[in-house]
Amino acid sequence: MSTPLQVYEPFKAGLPKLGRYWKSLWSRRTFIKEYSKSELREQHFDSVFGQLWLVLNPLLLSAVYFILIMIIGGNTDSARYAHLTASLFLFYLVANSLTGGVKSVTAGQRLILNTAFPRIMLPISAVVIAIFKFLPTLIVFLAIKAVVGTPFTFEMLWAIPVLLITIFLALALAITISCINVYFRDIASFLPYLTRTLLYLSPILYVASDLKPSLRAIEIVNPLFPILDSWSRAMVQGEAPQPSSMLQGLAWATGFFFVGTYFFLSREREFAVRL
Amino acid sequence: MSSLSVSSSHITNELAVSIRGVGLTYTTSIDKKPTLKSRVKSLGRGTKQTRVVRALDDINLDIQYGQVLGVIGTNGAGKSSLMRCVAGILPPSQGRIEVYGSVSTLLALGVGFNPSMSGRDNVFLGGLAAGMSREEIAGNFDEIAEFSELGDAIDAPMRTYSSGMYARLAFSVAAVVRPDILIIDEALSTGDAKFKEKSLNRVKELRSDDRALILVSHAMQTLRDTCNDVVWLHKGKLVQRGEPNAVIHAYQEFLHLGKSAVIDEDF
Repeated sequence: MSTPLQVYEPFKAGLPKLGRYWKSLWSRRTFIKEYSKSELREQHFDSVFGQLWLVLNPLLLSAVYFILIMIIGGNTDSARYAHLTASLFLFYLVANSLTGGVKSVTAGQRLILNTAFPRIMLPISAVVIAIFKFLPTLIVFLAIKAVVGTPFTFEMLWAIPVLLITIFLALALAITISCINVYFRDIASFLPYLTRTLLYLSPILYVASDLKPSLRAIEIVNPLFPILDSWSRAMVQGEAPQPSSMLQGLAWATGFFFVGTYFFLSREREFAVRL
Repeated sequence: MSSLSVSSSHITNELAVSIRGVGLTYTTSIDKKPTLKSRVKSLGRGTKQTRVVRALDDINLDIQYGQVLGVIGTNGAGKSSLMRCVAGILPPSQGRIEVYGSVSTLLALGVGFNPSMSGRDNVFLGGLAAGMSREEIAGNFDEIAEFSELGDAIDAPMRTYSSGMYARLAFSVAAVVRPDILIIDEALSTGDAKFKEKSLNRVKELRSDDRALILVSHAMQTLRDTCNDVVWLHKGKLVQRGEPNAVIHAYQEFLHLGKSAVIDEDF
């Protein structure tokens, strides 16, 4: 008798066989690509005006926040505006990953009930979509930077590892929250409050170094704090970020990734009966 | 994870699926949409949020190539659960399932996981998720579109489809892909009379020596016409398996309905 192509057995508590899971995920990478593409097309981000909206939305936001800073803080420094836009755009990469990720599993109900596939593809796709929405804003920021006149230096290349850490963190958060949403469907409604809080706790409307010593605790409990600080240093000021900040950001991302992925993978086989 | 891209020829009577001592127990939430709010509000009340369902109990079943197996039973008998186990969607809680070929499933819900996308996008995404390559789907797409008779609607968002159109597209995908093992769960009963006949003919066409078909249906006459083997499940247990007429007769006796027109009616 030939060997079976597939064997389904009860899973001992914990994770599926990771090697096989990875292989199965890798063989479906086209799904992630096509899914992100059709999702963006469906939201009309493949058209000129769609792209324009992608850029216009964060630009308007940054303008609103700049007015806020001007009135409350009395700061009209143009470098400050560059800091605000750079940080806000990166923040929206994480925020969009969260809002896209939170319903990725519950919205994929039909697919989950009908097809066997690694469920983690769904939050991954949400992050890929958020990255595609982020890219045009990056170009806008570089234009703003050129106008404002903050220096372009080789140290700006530090932004690349910072961006990679941010994507890693966004992925970890999307995986975690998509899984939590299966069990508590109202997490999606709490999410705007969560992202809003994160926004104010992060060095976006203010600069990290301006933070009062008494408020330094924010720095430690907010996973976004060290990466946004590093991002602003590299992108706006054109200097190398502090290695400790980058390591702290990486530690947050790795921590969330392992906890979230463990939670997701150990639970995903019962998604079909929970949806 | 099942993959449709692996396909090879099989010899009649060769084992397609082996189900050994399979049991399935799962916990499901009582609320349709469990929320943190309801959980917090019921804290200390001791009310249960979840229910344990024993869907399958010690099922032993071998399915050979060349077989057309009908699965019958009342609602909640575990038919769909068993199909999901064979398709790898739900892992069994006990026992072992071995599958010797590619599986395509047409379960009750069909394709179309994102209603705001077009039928075309949904077919591609469903196929890619099932492990097919883009080229494989593209190669089959014209036939799928033609079989479904959707015409231009294939490029319209699926939320504009009627339930019959949904079902037609779902059936077309499953039937055109030509897997080694095809599972059809109560999906033959949709569509208009013409499409019903067309899909039934297609199922008959798909009966071949190197393929295994599993049909879940309440349409006894269809099962009598198409199957060469029938299993009867009741409350997660396998009650009887054998020649279609005999098993269906026993099932109908059990229901105290005898040969009534209502359940004998096609589809």
